[in-house]
Amino acid sequence: MQPEMDVVATLIRSAGRRVEPPQDAYRQVFVAAHAAFRAKAARRRNAALTLWAGAAAAVVLGVALAMRWTSPLAPPAELAQVARIAGAVEVAAGDGWRPLPEAGARLAAGTRIRTRPDGRAAIALAAGESLRMAPDTEMVLDAPGRLYLQRGTAYLDGGTRPAREGIEVVTPAGTARELGTQFELHVAATGLRLRVREGSVAIDHGGRSVTGLAGEEVSIDTFGGVLRTTIRPDDPAWQWAEAIAPMPDMDGQPAATLITWVARETGRRLRYESPLVEQRAGSVILHGEIRHLAPMEALEAMLATTDLQVALDGNTMEVRSRSHDPPGL
Amino acid sequence: MAELVHADRALARRILGGDEAAFTELFGRFFPRLYRFALARLPGDPEAAKDVVQQVFCRAIEKLDTYRGEAALYTWFCQICRNVIADQYRRRGRTGSRVVLLEDLPNAREVLESLAAPASAEPESGALREQLCRVVAATLDALPGRYGEALEWKYIDGLSVREIAARLELGEKATESLLTRARESFRDAIGGMI
Repeated sequence: MQPEMDVVATLIRSAGRRVEPPQDAYRQVFVAAHAAFRAKAARRRNAALTLWAGAAAAVVLGVALAMRWTSPLAPPAELAQVARIAGAVEVAAGDGWRPLPEAGARLAAGTRIRTRPDGRAAIALAAGESLRMAPDTEMVLDAPGRLYLQRGTAYLDGGTRPAREGIEVVTPAGTARELGTQFELHVAATGLRLRVREGSVAIDHGGRSVTGLAGEEVSIDTFGGVLRTTIRPDDPAWQWAEAIAPMPDMDGQPAATLITWVARETGRRLRYESPLVEQRAGSVILHGEIRHLAPMEALEAMLATTDLQVALDGNTMEVRSRSHDPPGL
Repeated sequence: MAELVHADRALARRILGGDEAAFTELFGRFFPRLYRFALARLPGDPEAAKDVVQQVFCRAIEKLDTYRGEAALYTWFCQICRNVIADQYRRRGRTGSRVVLLEDLPNAREVLESLAAPASAEPESGALREQLCRVVAATLDALPGRYGEALEWKYIDGLSVREIAARLELGEKATESLLTRARESFRDAIGGMI
């Protein structure tokens, strides 16, 4: 045996096997790096298209050059707008993070956003969906219809519009495809937890697909084990998402609009005491500002000035008249 | 080396073109190696090592169109990793002194040789043992292609050439050649490191 070979063998044997990184570190970094990769590729595609368009325009419209036309690079597509924030919320900027001071900020494709341990955020996606981020959550708005949840907890309300494209939420432990629904995803080192409030959600993980239906909580561990339990649509576990719900502008709207919205946000069935009460709810016009209240608080505040009131009966929210007289008389 | 750099340039071009498979290949190859690279420089702080590697990937992908192929792509990533770690030390004013690695020591070759000697009667300190493990791991990580894995399979797992050939999906002759080249590369690389 050659002595030099012995040195190689001895060194490698003495050192032992190389340390393998933890699996959750692999997944977390993969999600972030993949988002960076896709954002970069998208920007290059946009730039190439813009340059191509600029070149074509130069050929066809030489006059435009004479008019000092310049070819700007297309900005990344705008995907969302911050609807509401509470506590500290930050977006990635260069190698660090900068605070997001207030609602209204527009977010482009590739934006990385995180909530600090005291922060929560509600984000209105371009197609009308509402995304909520719980404290200590990090996400990337990758492309229309596609989000990355790197860590923490996110809630998605797909709205009620028919024929809408579902949202895809990619996590280190699997990809959730929304099928018209309200749901919550939680990513932890031990796996992925899905809670479905309405509709259904399919999760692809490790080459398998698991579907969660309304009222189900599905936990998928890192070894692929699946555990199903139940969760009511009005379970207190949803309250964090309700508390940061972006309140639609209700000034000038009929009371029925607010009532329907609150019932959906709180996961309750809606019932009117009578057809007359329902009719009344459609004709009473609301006035005032309730943007910073939670849904039930907002409803109580608004109805306080009307002859309508709500009562909770289990999972049902019943709208009643305050008087024994027919409402409005 | 020229072949490796050529392949790396092609890989970088595919990634810039949005090729998912190329990205996955790069990530799978580089992530464990960069994690070890960062952890060696941030000892006892795996969370910081993970954050550093995440920044390295994001920064490297952002700047990938500036990669000209003067060095292997992994070397280019390692340089970015060094910069990110240096930035972190500067920004956060990390406590304690910066890690001094074995390759920075003036008597590194002697230390390594004494540790590698199978019949060495010298007592081996835990610190030196750790340094040895790290240098060997860094050397294996720096080898091109699957040389590092092949050497581990042979010397740690004790696999036969036939078994290694099956894992590499190569013929036995080609595997023997690969192992010879891997051993030569290891010797050259570890000599270069110290």
